[in-house]
Amino acid sequence: MVARPALRRAIPSSRTLLHAESRILRSSFSTTLQSQQKPNNNNNSVPEYAIPDPARPTHFGFETVTEAEKRERVAGVFTSVAESYDRMNDLMSFGWHRVWKDHFVASLNPGFSPLTSSSDPRAPQHILDIAGGTGDIAFRMLHTAHILNGNPDVRVTISDINPAMLSVGKQRSASLPASQQAALSFLEANAEDLTQTKPLGANQVGYSPTTGVPDESVDLYTVAFGIRNFSNIPAALREAYRVLKPGGVFACLEFSKADKHPLFNTIYKQWSFSAIPLIGQLVAGDRDSYQYLVESIERFPSQEDFRDMIVDAGFVVGGQGYEDLTGGVAAIHKGMKPRRK
Amino acid sequence: MLRPATRPALVATRQVRQCAARFFSSPVSPDTSSSHVHSPSTTPETNPAPPPPNSRSSTSSSKGKKPLTAEQRAFLSSALRVNQAGELAATLIYTGQTPPLVTRDPSLRPLMKHMYDQEAAHLRTFNDLIYRHRVRPTALYPLWSVMATGLGWGTAMLGKEAAMACTEAVETEIGGHYNAQIRKLLEMVSEWEAEGYEVGAEFRHLINTLRRIRDEELEHLDHAVEHDAQKAEPHWLLTGVIRAGCRGAIWVSERV
Amino acid sequence: MMRPSSISLRRPARQILFSSVSTIRAAAPVPTTATHRSLSTSTSTGSGCPCANGSRRPQVKQTQELQQQQQQRQQRQHRNAYHSYDHPSSSAAFTPVEESILSAAYQHVPSHGFTPSALAAGARDAGYLDISPTILPEGAFALIRYHLVKQREELAPRVSELFGGEGHVGARPGLSEWEIRGRVEAVTWERLSANAQVIGRWQEALAIMAQPSYVPPSLKELALLSDEILFLAGDSSVDPSWYTKRASLSTIYAAAELFMTNDHSPEFMDTRAFLNRRLREVNEVGGVFRNLREWVGFTATAGVNVLRSKGVRI
Repeated sequence: MVARPALRRAIPSSRTLLHAESRILRSSFSTTLQSQQKPNNNNNSVPEYAIPDPARPTHFGFETVTEAEKRERVAGVFTSVAESYDRMNDLMSFGWHRVWKDHFVASLNPGFSPLTSSSDPRAPQHILDIAGGTGDIAFRMLHTAHILNGNPDVRVTISDINPAMLSVGKQRSASLPASQQAALSFLEANAEDLTQTKPLGANQVGYSPTTGVPDESVDLYTVAFGIRNFSNIPAALREAYRVLKPGGVFACLEFSKADKHPLFNTIYKQWSFSAIPLIGQLVAGDRDSYQYLVESIERFPSQEDFRDMIVDAGFVVGGQGYEDLTGGVAAIHKGMKPRRK
Repeated sequence: MLRPATRPALVATRQVRQCAARFFSSPVSPDTSSSHVHSPSTTPETNPAPPPPNSRSSTSSSKGKKPLTAEQRAFLSSALRVNQAGELAATLIYTGQTPPLVTRDPSLRPLMKHMYDQEAAHLRTFNDLIYRHRVRPTALYPLWSVMATGLGWGTAMLGKEAAMACTEAVETEIGGHYNAQIRKLLEMVSEWEAEGYEVGAEFRHLINTLRRIRDEELEHLDHAVEHDAQKAEPHWLLTGVIRAGCRGAIWVSERV
Repeated sequence: MMRPSSISLRRPARQILFSSVSTIRAAAPVPTTATHRSLSTSTSTGSGCPCANGSRRPQVKQTQELQQQQQQRQQRQHRNAYHSYDHPSSSAAFTPVEESILSAAYQHVPSHGFTPSALAAGARDAGYLDISPTILPEGAFALIRYHLVKQREELAPRVSELFGGEGHVGARPGLSEWEIRGRVEAVTWERLSANAQVIGRWQEALAIMAQPSYVPPSLKELALLSDEILFLAGDSSVDPSWYTKRASLSTIYAAAELFMTNDHSPEFMDTRAFLNRRLREVNEVGGVFRNLREWVGFTATAGVNVLRSKGVRI
């Protein structure tokens, strides 16, 4: 709470900074697109909608903006709520997001290896946690892998487009054991184009500013409560496909649709649309950001639609492709990059 | 023109034909070919030979046979289930009707026996289809048994006219019901043909079976009307109630 | 050796924690055909945004692969429906990728059990990563379901061999009740024998199947199995006994399976004897009921006939 006035003072400057930066990103698209176009998809061609286009209209909550504008405004939202981000999730999920995250990480069981006769069956794993600025998922991953599964060969890269969110995570990571800190790296990147990345601080492993995330280098790609803020979700899915190794898993935890239970859904909608922006105004003094949060959840595709988008990007899914949490308030989607044929 | 008169001696009145035409002519009317397919001499088959497992129809199209969708399978399951329940009910109605009717009017014995025999053959046909296609039979089997026997016996106790009105009502509903199924099956077949798929002998056989059975049910309707069904008092109430009951029973057995 | 056991203890706790979620999901499968409904309602509640679905969420191209996967998903929901011989629906209970991981993992069951460890080992064998099996939504239960489904599907060819190469389609008409009983016993035994490979691990599997969220799919598999056994044995009854026969066979099969996990007799002779006893008991009880019903029916008919002969007009 003490930090808030300071942060709010800092916002204008960081906004202009972001603005400039997104302009740089935009100009770099023209050069990166060609390289991005070829290998991503088994259909051998990237559909037009999956190519980031700063001028294409998209949603910002219930407003219509261009993709570039959305990127900036999302950055604005998260810069202003970075400090109170956890409180925001608590409000939206009645505190359940912690349980969901625990379940999400447990269901992925990072660092788990089969018992085999070979001397050291533990395989190294690289986890890329996209939009994971505050480190919620990454810290849990490290705990599961290093402590529960006893596999210190698991490293996690936290990537976020927003430096304010990243620095929150960076601060928090200071309380982790040293071995886990060593396995952690921070990356400032746009999930729709991971070829352009910028390491944060000194703690980067294996990435020089020019290389970005290489093709087929990641075992597990996670994105928790982030993908709905992306300007171009199909592009991000294809980028995930590119960086994942064959057999690698895309896993997404996101607010979803609870409309399988009409009564519950009505109450939930009522709560989110009338109470949350108000609470946001009272608690954090920032009604607009909370209004965006609620609207962006409403705008996010249904479980089945999002599953189809994942399959469309080339992934294969198991079973129905998603798991509802708490009646569909949130859902876990998983997809695997198939082996090359 | 809708169906061949298999027994010329029992040609129905003009009125009934109109009534039947009203119920069974569909706007699409895909079923006008039934008289070609249906050979008048067909006697109720007890055991339609199962299509040989490897039968391939000789159509030249090369796309093979399209797998049934989940929706089509659900439709076929509920269709066979409700047909079996319906034929079970029909046999039991006639079983219940026959003794009281025949005691009053022994001349009805051959007619009742003829109708009963046909219904029993239908029931055997559907029992076989249900088993062969592994469809779950209706769970309310005992309920339908009791209700159908009660309906048959009860209407027969009211008199010959009421019994015939019951037959009229039941067969009208059942005829319309079969027609709807045939129409849907023909739509499936024509859809496959339009897409260039082959249609298996299993389906042609099923459609022909349904047509034959429907025609026989309509024949029963004619018999009922000839035997003073419409003189039953109060005819509208009796048929109305029974038909509503039939529709309810069909709705339920399609689901349970 | 401590490591895996601590995991296997952790997981059930999670399963129970989330069981309410999973049972809700199991109870209300959403037809995939209704895919776009939710999206359109969400747009209608929103402010009048002209760009609607198209721009933000581009229409997903219906690739053939996508359609296939959707169809498979649908078929899996309706597995107990009309069985066509001419237009068979694809019966694949698992997608090709699931199949490749699970079939490789299945080889590790005798040594690793129905565990995540077997799944990961299988994934490695199939050329995937340790993390890959996590896309299986049911985890280790997927491996159990694989066993159940595969052994059920393999029953038909084995039985047709057993009964001298006769096609399993519809069996022979006119089998006597007595012959059918013998065949039911033979087919059930055939299925039980298929557990021999994994019998040492089957108690663990039963424990997993007894977890609340896995009870419905386990029972469904059991129902499918007893339906398959009775069909292959040639039992063609389609009256209420359709239900009672399946119910009693399911109970007997489950009991025999449990018995088998503790059976150390050569070639599971004791289990076979157990199975025979249970089937005989059911036939005896069923016989009593059938006799009772026939007696009541006969007496009622006789009574009605006596009344009719006395001139009572009924």
